Amino acid sequence: MDDNKPPTPAELTILIAGAVMLVASFLSFAGNTSAWGRYLFPIATLLPLYGIVMALQVGLTKFANISLPDRIVGFTWEQVHLVLGLLAGLMAVAWLITDTGNKQIGQWLEVLGGIALAVGAVMMQRERHTGAIG
Amino acid sequence: MKNVKLSPANIVILAAGAVMLIASFLGFYKLDIPVEHLGGGVTVGGSTSYNAWSSGQFLIATLPAFIGMAMAGQIALVTFGGVSPPEKPLGLTWDQIHLVLGFQAALMMLAFLIRSKPTNSFGIGFWLMLLSGIALFVGAVMRTSEAGRKPRAV
Repeated sequence: MDDNKPPTPAELTILIAGAVMLVASFLSFAGNTSAWGRYLFPIATLLPLYGIVMALQVGLTKFANISLPDRIVGFTWEQVHLVLGLLAGLMAVAWLITDTGNKQIGQWLEVLGGIALAVGAVMMQRERHTGAIG
Repeated sequence: MKNVKLSPANIVILAAGAVMLIASFLGFYKLDIPVEHLGGGVTVGGSTSYNAWSSGQFLIATLPAFIGMAMAGQIALVTFGGVSPPEKPLGLTWDQIHLVLGFQAALMMLAFLIRSKPTNSFGIGFWLMLLSGIALFVGAVMRTSEAGRKPRAV
């Protein structure tokens, strides 16, 4: 990644989605309980955690100039973003369909954030010409 | 059918995927309330169970079952169905895809285990799904650790 350039649309999407998901994880997810609260942690916390990991990687390499290993368990960072983004999107759809009673603002933001992560991860593949998509 | 030979890793994934699917229809949570006879023929309490497809559980608790089905289905299709899947879908090898899906299934089931639960307790379906989720991940790791592997579907 070229660390001196401003964030690309894909990176911005991931950064914003991750930040929103972090904040939303402390808002009511279902009933009066947040994603960190009793009965929901850690199953509902996985979604924001994926967003935080993705946003942290982009933020650290883009703004803090921290060099991370090229590969994690054989995966390039683009692949890590792709799988985390798609899994986050999958969990977002799963939560959307799951009947949790009255869905609260935190859950809606998590769902939107998860879908945004998937979109950002796909956009990143195109921006960096990984050949994974299209 | 051709004489097919499955690796131990693929056998683990196939078996775990099948068990995961069956277990998803068994009790995920069970709720036991002591039976009390209040007189006048009125009785309260009893026991009931909810599986991964029950309202309130579907789709978040069913997702690991779908993941298991996808992993086992891919191996079954290629091995027994003679299907030739793309070599690197989304730029990932099939070993990587199995690793990611197995990790996700195990992680979600462990998350359900850690989750503090109300008065209900886990049913046999949950425990089988937990074991299957871990087995899916172990099978995926076994696939990648098999010596001299090249990206391949099975």
